[in-house]
Amino acid sequence: MGKQSRLLAFVLAILLGAVYLIVIHPPKLGLDLRGGAQLTLQAKTNPEQGINEITPRIMETAKFVVEQRINGLGVSEATILLSGNNQLIVQLPGVNDPAQAERVLGTTAQLDFRKQKKGTESELRARLQILQAATVQRELLKNSGDQKAIAENETTYKKSIEDLKGIFERTGLTGNMLKDAVASPSGNGPDSWQVALTFDDKGGDLFAKTTGEIGGTGRVLGIFLDDKLISSPSVGPEFQGKGISGGRAVITGNFTLDSATELALQLRAGALPVPVEIVENRTVGATLGADSILSSIYAGVAGLVLVLIFMVLYYRILGVVADIALITYAVITYALFSLLGVVLTLPGIAGFILSIGMAVDANVLIFERTREELKAGRTLYKSVEAGFYRAWSSILDSNVTTLIACLTLFWLGSGFVKGFAVTLGVGVIVSMFTAITLSRSLMLAMISNPQFRKPEYYGMKAFGKISTVTTDIEAETEVVDDHNDKTDNTKDNTSGAVL
Amino acid sequence: MRLDVVKNARLYLTISTAVIVAGIVAMVLSFQQLGSPLRLGIDFTGGSSVTLGLACNGDTCGKPIDIAVVRQAVESKGFANSVIQLVEGKDLKGVSVRTAHLSTEEREKLKSTLTESLKQYGEVDPKKSQLDEVGAAIGQQALRNGLLAILLSFAGIGIYLAFRFQLDYATFAVLALFHDIFVTVGAFSVLGLTLGVEIDSLFIVAMLTICGFSVNDTVVIYDRIRENVKLDAGNTSFNDLVNASVNQTLGRSINTSMTATLPLLAIFLFGGATLRFFSLALIIGFLSGAYSSIFNASILLAWWRSRQTSKLKQSTVEAN
Repeated sequence: MGKQSRLLAFVLAILLGAVYLIVIHPPKLGLDLRGGAQLTLQAKTNPEQGINEITPRIMETAKFVVEQRINGLGVSEATILLSGNNQLIVQLPGVNDPAQAERVLGTTAQLDFRKQKKGTESELRARLQILQAATVQRELLKNSGDQKAIAENETTYKKSIEDLKGIFERTGLTGNMLKDAVASPSGNGPDSWQVALTFDDKGGDLFAKTTGEIGGTGRVLGIFLDDKLISSPSVGPEFQGKGISGGRAVITGNFTLDSATELALQLRAGALPVPVEIVENRTVGATLGADSILSSIYAGVAGLVLVLIFMVLYYRILGVVADIALITYAVITYALFSLLGVVLTLPGIAGFILSIGMAVDANVLIFERTREELKAGRTLYKSVEAGFYRAWSSILDSNVTTLIACLTLFWLGSGFVKGFAVTLGVGVIVSMFTAITLSRSLMLAMISNPQFRKPEYYGMKAFGKISTVTTDIEAETEVVDDHNDKTDNTKDNTSGAVL
Repeated sequence: MRLDVVKNARLYLTISTAVIVAGIVAMVLSFQQLGSPLRLGIDFTGGSSVTLGLACNGDTCGKPIDIAVVRQAVESKGFANSVIQLVEGKDLKGVSVRTAHLSTEEREKLKSTLTESLKQYGEVDPKKSQLDEVGAAIGQQALRNGLLAILLSFAGIGIYLAFRFQLDYATFAVLALFHDIFVTVGAFSVLGLTLGVEIDSLFIVAMLTICGFSVNDTVVIYDRIRENVKLDAGNTSFNDLVNASVNQTLGRSINTSMTATLPLLAIFLFGGATLRFFSLALIIGFLSGAYSSIFNASILLAWWRSRQTSKLKQSTVEAN
C-alpha cells in the first residue's frame, strides 16, 4: 500500500499548508459582516458637453477621481471596482455615516468661477447678510418641528441663493480646468485653514484675466458649485490689471480643517469627466454585521456537528472516514478562499456551509455503493474499490450540474451573489478532490489493517456470500438484483483492472 | 421499505399537482393584490430601507417599542406609505422603515425623526443601524438578471444531461426542476400574502442552488436506471427497472437530503435574520427536490418509455 501512504502524505501536506495559510492570512470579511458602506455609482452621459457615450477611458478617469476623493475622506482599505461598462462600486469599510460619503461622492458638482457685475457692491453685502441670516435660522429651526416657520425660512433661503446668482456673470472658467485643490494651513493660528488651487494652462490664463478685471475694484470672485455660491473671495489691488498669474491661488476665509477639506474635495469633484449618480447604497453597522455572522456561524457549525454524528451512527467506521474527509475538505476550502482572495460575505458563508452538506453527498454515494457490494457478498477490498468506481459517474454528473448553476450566478449576479457563487463553486470542486483522493486512500489504508476488518464496523453481520443466505430480507431480493450480481461479477474484473 | 413508484404513480403525481396548484392560486391572488406573483423587496423594486437599532446590552433593553408611536411620527413628517416593522433579535431591538427612494436629505430627515421618536425607548446605536438604498433601474436589472440566470442554468443543465444521458432523461430532469422551483415560489407566495415576507436577491441565489442540488438527486437515480438498463439486456420491463433503481438509491436520497437540510435547519432556527428566509427557501426546495427526483422524474420517465416501446411494438406488428 505504498501508493496509498504516499497519497495520504500528500493530502496531509496540503492540509498543513492550508492550516498555516489560514493562520497567517485569514480570508477577508465582507462589508455586511464587519460593517461599512457600499455605494454603486453610475456614470451618465452629458450631451451638453458633447459626451454621448461612456467609454472605458471615461470610467478610468472617473475611478481615479473617486479614488482621490475617498483618500480625502480618510477611509483606509477602501476598494473601488469597475462594474459593467458604466458603474463603479465603492466599498468603504467602517463607514457608518453614509450621508458623508454620499455628499462627497454623489454631488455631481459642476464647479465654475464667476465675476461680480459692476455696481453691485452694496447689493452683494445686503444679499450675503440675508443669506447668512437665513442659514443660521435654518439650523435653529431644523429640530424645532415648526413646519410653517421651516417652510418660510426655506423660501427665503432659496430666494437669497437665486438673488445672489443674479449679480454674478460667468467667466468661462470651470471645474474641469482645475487641476488640484487642497486644504493647507493658513498660518494664522492652529485651527485656521485655507484652500490652495492649481489650474491648468487655459484655466490659469482665464483666472489671471478674471482676477485682473476685478482686482482692486472691491468686487469679488464668485465660486459656484452647482449654481450655489460657496465662496466669494476678494482680489487685492496689487493684482489689478495683470491678475493672479501662474495658475495658482488660495481661497482664504473662516475655514477649519474639516470645512477646508470638504471644500477642497468639492472643488476637485468638478474634475469628474461625467456626472455620476448614486444608484445603490448599502450600509451596515459594525455590530449588526457581527451579530448575524456569529449566530449564523454557530448555527451552521451546530448543524455540521449533527451531520458528523449522523455519519458515524449510520455508516460506522466508514462514517469516521467520511468525517475526517469532511473536516479536511472544510479546512482546504477555507484556505483556498484566502488564496483566491474571496471576500466572505454572509451569503458566501451560507454557500460554504451548504457545500459541506453537499460534500457529504459524495461520501454517502460511495458508502451506499460499498454496502451494496458487501451485501452482494463481495470481499471488503473489492467492495470498496467498486463503491468508488460505480459512484464516480453519479458524483461527477451531479456536481457538474451544480457548477453550471454557480457559473450562471457568477456571470449574472451582483456583488453579494457573486460571493455565494464563488464559495459554492470552489467547495464543489474541492469536495470532488477530497472524495476521490482522501476518502479512498483512507479506506484502502484502513482495510489493509486486519484490526479494522470486522464486519460489524461496516454495519454487516458477516462478509462474504453467507450474508445473503442467512439474512431473510436479502432472500426476498428481486430478480433484478440477482441479475445484477451475476453481471457485476464479470464486470468487477474490468473495474479492478481500471483502478 | 420498498416503494412501487410506478404502480402508485397517480398518487404521487396528484400530491405534486395539488401543491403546485395551491402555489399558483397564491401567486394569482398575490398578483391581484401586489401586482407580482411574489412580494418583491427593495432589491428588485428599488427604494430605501432604514433600520435603526437601540443601544442595549443583554437584559437592560428597556420597555418594548410601540410601533404606533413610531408610525405616527414617521407619517407626520410626510413619509406616508412607508412600511414600518419592528426588528428583534439577540441583543437587538429596533425598527425598520421602508419607503420609496429618498434623497440624502430626505433620508437624514427620516433618520432624525426616527431617532427622536425612539428616544423614550433608548438611545439609537449607529453601529446597529443599516441602510439600503436601491435605484429603481438597478432593482429591475437585478430581477431581470436573476430570472435570466435561472433560465440559463436550466438550459445549461438540460444540455449537459442530454449530452451525458439522452434527450428524454434531460427533459424530465428539467421538468422535475420546474416542479421544485414552482413549489418553492408557491410557498413564498403564500408567505408573502400571509406574513408579508419579501423576496430579495438571496431568493434568486436559493432558486439556483435548488436547481443545482435537486438535479443531483435526479441524476443519481437516472444514473442507476441507465446502469441497470445496460446490465439487464432487455429481460426486465422498464417499469421494474425504474422501481428497482429508485429503491436501490433510496437510502442515499434520504440520507443526503437529511445531511444537507440539517445545517440549513440550524441556520433557520438559530441564525441571523438575514439568512432566515434564505435557509427556509433552500429547505423547501431541497425537500421538494428529493420528492420530485424519487417520484416525478422516475415516474414520468417510466411512462414515457413504456409508451415509446408500445408504439414500437405496434409499428413492428403493422410492418409484419
